[in-house]
Amino acid sequence: MSTDYQYVPEPKLVKGDHSFGSITDMIAKTPLSPTPKLWYLAFGLANVLLITLLGAISYLIWDGIGIWGLNNPAGWGWAIINFVWWVGIGHAGTLISAILFLFRQGWRTSINRFAEAMTIFAVMCAGIFPAIHVGRIWVIYWVFPVPNSMGIWPNFSSPLLWDVFAVSTYFTVSLLFWYVGLIPDFATLRDKAKSKVAKISYGIASLGWTGSFRNWWNYEKAYMILAGLATPLVLSVHTIVSFDFAVSMIPGWHSTIFPPYFVAGAIYSGFAMVLTLMLIARKIYGLEDIMNIDIMEKMNLVMMVTGNLVAFAYLMEGFIAWYSGYIYEQGIFWLYVVGPYAWGFWILMFCNVITPQFLWFKKIRRNVALTFVISIIVNIGMWFERFMIAVASLSTDFMPSAWDYYSPTFWDIITYIGTFGLFFTFFLLFLRFLPMVAIAEVKGVMPQADPHNYDEDTQEFDATKTEPVVVQQEQTV
Amino acid sequence: MSEEVKSPNYWKSLGELARNDEYEKYVEREFPENATEMNDKVSRRSFLRVMGASIALAGFAACRRPVQKIMPYSKMPEDVVPGNPLYYASAMPFQDALNGIVVENHEGRPGKIEGNEMHPASNGNTSIFGQAEILQMFDPDRSRYVRKEGERSSVSAFAKFCADHFSNTDQNIAFVSEANSSPTYNRLKDQAMSKFSNAQWITYEPFGEDNALEGTNIAFGERLRTFNKFDEADVIVSFDDDFLNPAADKNSVENTHRFTQARDLESPEDDMNRLYVVESTFSLTGSNADNRLRIKSGDLELFIYALAAELSKSVSGLSAFSGYSNEFSDHEWIPVLAEDLLANRGNSILSVGRDHSPELHATVAAMNEALGNAGETVEYYEVPHIKDQYNQEAFANLVDELNNGNIDTVVLVGTNPAFTAPSDLNFSDALSNASQVIHLSDYYDETSKLANWHINRAHFLEAWGDGYSYTGTRSIIQPQIEPLYSGVSEIEFLSTILNGEKPKGHNLVQETWKDYYKTNFKNRWEKALHDGLDKERTFSTASVRISNDFNSQASTFISNAEAADGMELVIRANSTVFDGRYANNGWLQELPNPMTKITWDNVALMSKKTADKLGVKQAGLGKAEVEMVAITVDGTTVELPAWVQPGHADDSITVTVGYGREGIGRVANKAGHDTYPLRTTSNMHFAGDISVEKTGDMYEIACTQDHNTMEGRSLLRYATLQEYRDNPDFSSYQSSYDAEMPGLSYAEEQGEDDPLAIFNPIDEQEYPEGQPQWGMSIDLNTCTGCGVCTIACTAENNIPVVGKREVSRGREMHWIRNDRYFDGDVNDPEALHQPVPCMHCELAPCEQVCPVAATTHSEDGMNQMTYNRCIGTRYCANNCPYKVRRFNFFNYSEEFLTSGDDPEIVQMAMNPEVTVRFRGVMEKCTYCVQRVNRAKIERDIETNGKTQKPKDGAVETACQQACPADAIYFGDLTDPDSKVVQTKKNNRNYLLLEELNTRPRTSYLAKVRNPNPKLA
Repeated sequence: MSTDYQYVPEPKLVKGDHSFGSITDMIAKTPLSPTPKLWYLAFGLANVLLITLLGAISYLIWDGIGIWGLNNPAGWGWAIINFVWWVGIGHAGTLISAILFLFRQGWRTSINRFAEAMTIFAVMCAGIFPAIHVGRIWVIYWVFPVPNSMGIWPNFSSPLLWDVFAVSTYFTVSLLFWYVGLIPDFATLRDKAKSKVAKISYGIASLGWTGSFRNWWNYEKAYMILAGLATPLVLSVHTIVSFDFAVSMIPGWHSTIFPPYFVAGAIYSGFAMVLTLMLIARKIYGLEDIMNIDIMEKMNLVMMVTGNLVAFAYLMEGFIAWYSGYIYEQGIFWLYVVGPYAWGFWILMFCNVITPQFLWFKKIRRNVALTFVISIIVNIGMWFERFMIAVASLSTDFMPSAWDYYSPTFWDIITYIGTFGLFFTFFLLFLRFLPMVAIAEVKGVMPQADPHNYDEDTQEFDATKTEPVVVQQEQTV
Repeated sequence: MSEEVKSPNYWKSLGELARNDEYEKYVEREFPENATEMNDKVSRRSFLRVMGASIALAGFAACRRPVQKIMPYSKMPEDVVPGNPLYYASAMPFQDALNGIVVENHEGRPGKIEGNEMHPASNGNTSIFGQAEILQMFDPDRSRYVRKEGERSSVSAFAKFCADHFSNTDQNIAFVSEANSSPTYNRLKDQAMSKFSNAQWITYEPFGEDNALEGTNIAFGERLRTFNKFDEADVIVSFDDDFLNPAADKNSVENTHRFTQARDLESPEDDMNRLYVVESTFSLTGSNADNRLRIKSGDLELFIYALAAELSKSVSGLSAFSGYSNEFSDHEWIPVLAEDLLANRGNSILSVGRDHSPELHATVAAMNEALGNAGETVEYYEVPHIKDQYNQEAFANLVDELNNGNIDTVVLVGTNPAFTAPSDLNFSDALSNASQVIHLSDYYDETSKLANWHINRAHFLEAWGDGYSYTGTRSIIQPQIEPLYSGVSEIEFLSTILNGEKPKGHNLVQETWKDYYKTNFKNRWEKALHDGLDKERTFSTASVRISNDFNSQASTFISNAEAADGMELVIRANSTVFDGRYANNGWLQELPNPMTKITWDNVALMSKKTADKLGVKQAGLGKAEVEMVAITVDGTTVELPAWVQPGHADDSITVTVGYGREGIGRVANKAGHDTYPLRTTSNMHFAGDISVEKTGDMYEIACTQDHNTMEGRSLLRYATLQEYRDNPDFSSYQSSYDAEMPGLSYAEEQGEDDPLAIFNPIDEQEYPEGQPQWGMSIDLNTCTGCGVCTIACTAENNIPVVGKREVSRGREMHWIRNDRYFDGDVNDPEALHQPVPCMHCELAPCEQVCPVAATTHSEDGMNQMTYNRCIGTRYCANNCPYKVRRFNFFNYSEEFLTSGDDPEIVQMAMNPEVTVRFRGVMEKCTYCVQRVNRAKIERDIETNGKTQKPKDGAVETACQQACPADAIYFGDLTDPDSKVVQTKKNNRNYLLLEELNTRPRTSYLAKVRNPNPKLA
C-alpha cells in the first residue's frame, strides 16, 4: 500500500486577480480621492458623540465623581469596566502585528494596519478612564515619579502605579510600531498624490523614504526590533491590568488565574472588535479580496481558542472556589450565579461561553453575517465579564452588612457612549487619510513576491500577469 | 448702627469685655435700628461679624462669650490659650430630666458635648440626643426673632405687651408647658399661679411619664417616679419597655450604664444578669434580651395579669389576681418567668413601657412590691414638680374650655401641641378661641404660626438654667455662648410675663440658688458650677405599700381586659427625632435607626407574616423602593412606607411620630410622613382593629444596611453563658469555623510567631522607643447598639451630613457604623449589634494599594489618611475588607457648611482641630488622632521629651467617651497594665476577619447571652 501524497498549495492570501499595481490602486484610492458624503455623515455622528464625551467629562470634573453611580462598597464602576474593556480591545492590534509577525503569519498583513490603528484609538479611549475616575484630577500627576518639593515618590507597590507604566509604555510602543510600518506606504501616497497639501503632508510623514535598499534594510530591522519589543508588552499590559484586581484581597479578585485569563480575554475581545470593524470596512471600501473569508475564518479560530480559554477560566474560578474551602470565594461565586447581579453573570455566560461554541462549525466561521453577529455578542460579553469582576465582587465582599447594590447613572452611560465618539472620530480620520492596509506588506505575501514565482516548473507562471518585483522601487524613485 | 460700635475698643479683661455698654444695649435692643438692613442678604451674612464687632472682637466671627462669669472645668487653665479648648460643666435638659454634661469650648464657642463623669445620670457618657444638641444650637433654621402676628417684633416690645396685658390678673390664663424640672422655673410657675387667680397650669408632653405616675398612684396611692437599678438585679423583665433607648426612657444613659455593668464578663466565672423582654416591636432593648417574646402590645395586659396571677400563688399583695386566668395563663413563659422571679425576690426588676396604661404600670409596680423589689432594685422617688395632676386629662379638658370660650390667654412654653396633640382634640381650632396666644419655641413651628406672639427660645447652651436629674441630682445649666439669635430662655420668658420686663437669666437662677445655699453662697455656687452638680439624688425615696385601693381597682380592670383582635397599631416616639423636636437636626436624621438602619424617614414596621398578608414585599439589596400602605384609624388615614422588621409581632404595626413636617427648616421639611393624625385621646399609643392596605405606590427609603444576615460568616461571634463556660475559647477562629485558620500551620512551619494576632505575649516585633502603640477593643457583650458612637464621631470629626439621596445611594459618611445582624428564623430572630470603625490594621491592605502613598502607617501604629496627598482613586476603600473607608463623592462639607443664608453658623459647630475634607478625597476613622496627639504633646512636655506615651486613660476617643455602656476601650498596647491590653487578654477577644492576616489593632470581645435554658 502506498499513500498518494499530493501537494496542496496553501490558499492564496489575496484573492482575485491582483497585480502589485492593482493592490496599490485599490488601497491608495481612498486617501487620495475626494471625501465621500457618507464619510461626512459618519464623522459628524462621531463628533457629536465626542462632544458628548467632553461635556460629560467637564461636568464630572466640575461636580465630582458623585455624578456616577458609585457607592461605598463599589468604589469602582463603569469607568474601570470601560478602561479594562477598551484596553482589552486594544490587544488585538499589537498581537496581530507583532506576535504574528514573529511567527511569520502572512495572513496578518491584510489586517495589521487596521488592527493597530484600532489598538491605538482603543488605548486612547481606555486611558481616559483611569485619569478621570480619580477624585482630584488636578493632582493626577502625582502618580508619575516626578521629583517634587514634597519629597515624596509614588507608592511603587501599588498595582495602579504599575498600570500607569504598563499602559503608557504599551501605547508608546504601539504608536511607534504603527508609524514605522506606515512609512513606506506614506511614501507611496506621497508619490501618487496630486494635491500639493497631500504631497507635502505625506512627504513629511514618510521621512524622506526613497525605497532604496538601505531604506528597506533599516526598515526591516526597525520593524523586527519593535515587534520584539511589543511582543512581551502584549502579554504584560493586560497582566498588569489584571493585577489591579488580583493583587488586592477582595474575593473574586484575589486570584492567580487572572493574568492568563485576562490576556486570553483581551485577545478574544480584540479579535472580535477587529472583525466587527473589518466586516464593515471591507464592504464599504471594496476590500473583499484582501480582507477575505479565509482571513475571517482564521480570526474566528483565534476567537474560538481564546473564547474557550476564557470559558475554562470561569470554570476554574468555580472549581477553585469550591476546592479552596475559602468561604468568601465560595460566597462570591455563589453570589455571581444567584446573587443580585446574577442577570449579568448569565448574560456573560451566554455571550462568552455559549457563543464561541458556534465557531466549531466551519460554515459559521465562514459566514460573514453570523461572524459579525458573534463578534458583537463577544464584545458585549467581555464588557459584562469586567462588570461582574469589578462591580459584583466589590458590592458583596467580606462583610454582608456593608453590601450595597451598584447601578449606573445617566452620566456613567453617556461617558461610555462618548468614548465611541472619540474612537470613531480617530478611526474615521484614519480610514480617510491613511492606507488602511499595509500596501508594502500585502505585496510581500502575494505570489508575485515569491522569488520562485517565475520558475518554469511552477504552473502558475503567466507572463501577462507578472510584473518585475522591482516595480515598487521604480514607483518610489 | 453707629460707627462707634464697629471701631475696635481694646479690652483688658473678660469682665470689662462683658460689660461693654454698646454690647448690652445691642442685645437689649435686639435689632431696633435698620431692621430692614437685616433683610439684606449681605447684612444677614455679616450678622455675626457685626455682633462680634460690638464686643470689640472684630474678625472673630465665632466669638460670643457669655456675659456672666462661668467656671472652667477642673484641670483646665483659667484663661483662654488660643487653640486649647476649655471644658465647662453644665447640664442638658431633656423633658424634665437633666443629664450632666461637660462642654468643650473653643475660644468662646461650644464645640462638643461630653458626659460629666461626676454626674450619676451621665457617668461621663451621653445619649445620641446629647451629642446632637451642639448642632441643634447651631441650627440656622431656628427662629431668630420675636414675631407679633407673624411680623417681626422685639423682646422689648413683648415685655411692654406683657406689662400691659398681664396687669389684668383675673383673666383666665392657661399655661401649657413642657415637662421641666428646673427649680427656678417651678418657682416662677408658683409665682404665676399665685399672681393670676384664674390660671391653670398643664404640663403637656406627647411622650411623657404621666401613665407611669398614675400607675404608682393606683398601686401605692401616690404619684411617684420609678427608678430601676438595673445593675443590682439578676433578673429583669421588660414589658415593651425600651429602657436603653433615649427616645423611650429619659434616663436611658444611666439605665444603659447600670444594665451593662451587670453584663461585664472578665472571665467565665463571672455572673451576668438575665433580661427577658416581652414586646411587639423589635426594640433596641429587645435586641439585647436574653429571652425575647414577641406578642402584640394589646395582648400585653393579659400577659402581665396572667403573670401576676401566677405570682399571686406564691407572694402576698396580689390577691386581686389570685384565681384569675386568661389565654396566656398556659403560655410556656409564665411559669418560667414566675420561677425565675420568685427565685430572685428582692433581686429582680419588672418594668413596663412608658406609654402603657396606668393600670399596667400599677400592676407591675405591685408585682415589684410583692416580690420585695421595691426599695431594693426599684426605687420610688417623690418628685416635687410632678405631683399635681394627670396631665393628659387636664390637657383634654383645656381644649374643652378653649372651645367653650373660657380661656382668654394661652401661654405655651416650648411645647408644640398644634403638631403633637391628639388629632381628635383639634387643638389648632380650639386655640383660635383664645384672645391671646403666646408661644415660646425653638422654631417658628406649627403652634407658633397660630400664636399672636412667638418668642424665639434660647438653647440650653446659650442660657442660664437649672434642674434635677431623673433621680434628683441638682445642677446649674451655664451658658456656653451668648444667644446666637438673642433668644429668650423659659425662665426669662416666664419672668417677663410676670414682671413686664425681661430679666437676666443669671439673676433668676441665682435667686433660686441663694434660697437653696443659705450660707456661703458664692463658694458653693461656684463649686456647683465647677462640678456640674450640687448633690446627688436629692429626691427622697418613698417607702411604698400596695394600697388597699389597688386590689379593688385591679379586679375591675382585669375583668375588663380582653385580647386584642385584628390588626393593632403602636405609636412610638422616633428613635432619632423623638416627638419631632429633633426633626431639623441633620446628625440625628442621618443617624440610622438602631434596629432598621433607616435614615431620614419613618416607616410602618411589621412582621414578615403581616407583610405577606398585606402583600408587601421586603426591601433588600438593590431594592430601595418599598411599598406604601394606608393605615386607617377611626376614619383617619395616613400613608406610610411599609418595612418588614424581622421579629415584630404579627398583626401589629408600629409607626413613629415626629416626621412629615413643613415650614420648620431645610432638614425637617419633607422628611418622612406625619403620623400624629393617627393619635387620638383614646388611642394615644395603641389602637386596636385598624385597617391597613397597600396603596400600590412606591417610596424610596435610605437604609444603610441592605443585607441583614451574616451569611454563616463568623463576623460577630457569640455564645450563651453556658457555652462560654464550657468552652471559654469559643470565639477563636478554630471554634467558630471548626477548622484551623488558613495559613496558620504554614506560618508556624516558617518559624513565624502567631501570624494572625498582634501584641500577643510572644510578640517580638520591635516598636519605636518612647512611642505608644495604639489599640482598641470593643466589647460586644456590653454594646447595646444605640448608635451614640456614630453620632459622637460625627460631632468630633466634622463628618458632613449628606442627605437622604446620597444615603440611599450608599454614600453615608459615618466613620463608625453600627452593623445589625439578624440570626435565626425570620419571624423571630435574634438581633446582634457590632460597631465597626477602621481596624487600623498592622498589615493594612489599603496602604499597599494607594498609588500615591496617601495612606500610611504612623510610628504609633495608626493607619493614617493624608487628605492633602489623596488623589481619590478609591482603591484603598475597595481593598478594605471591613469597608470602613468613606469617600467624598461630592463636596459634601461645602454643601453642608455653606448652604443657607448664614453658613457661618453651622461652621461654628465644627471642631477646629479636625480638617474639613474636600471633595474627591478618602476619609475614615483616625482613632481621634487630634486627641491622641494633644495627649502625646502634653506627655512629651511633662516628661521633658523622655516619652510620648500618655498615661492609660489620658486619651479617650470620641466614641469611647460617649458610650454609656463603656463598651469601647482604647489605649497603649505597649503598656501591659493598660485597660485595653487587659481586655485583649480576655479569652473572648477575637479579631474581625483574622484569617486575612491584616492584623487589626481593633479587636472585639465576643458576645455572651444568658438565656433561660427552659425557654430554649
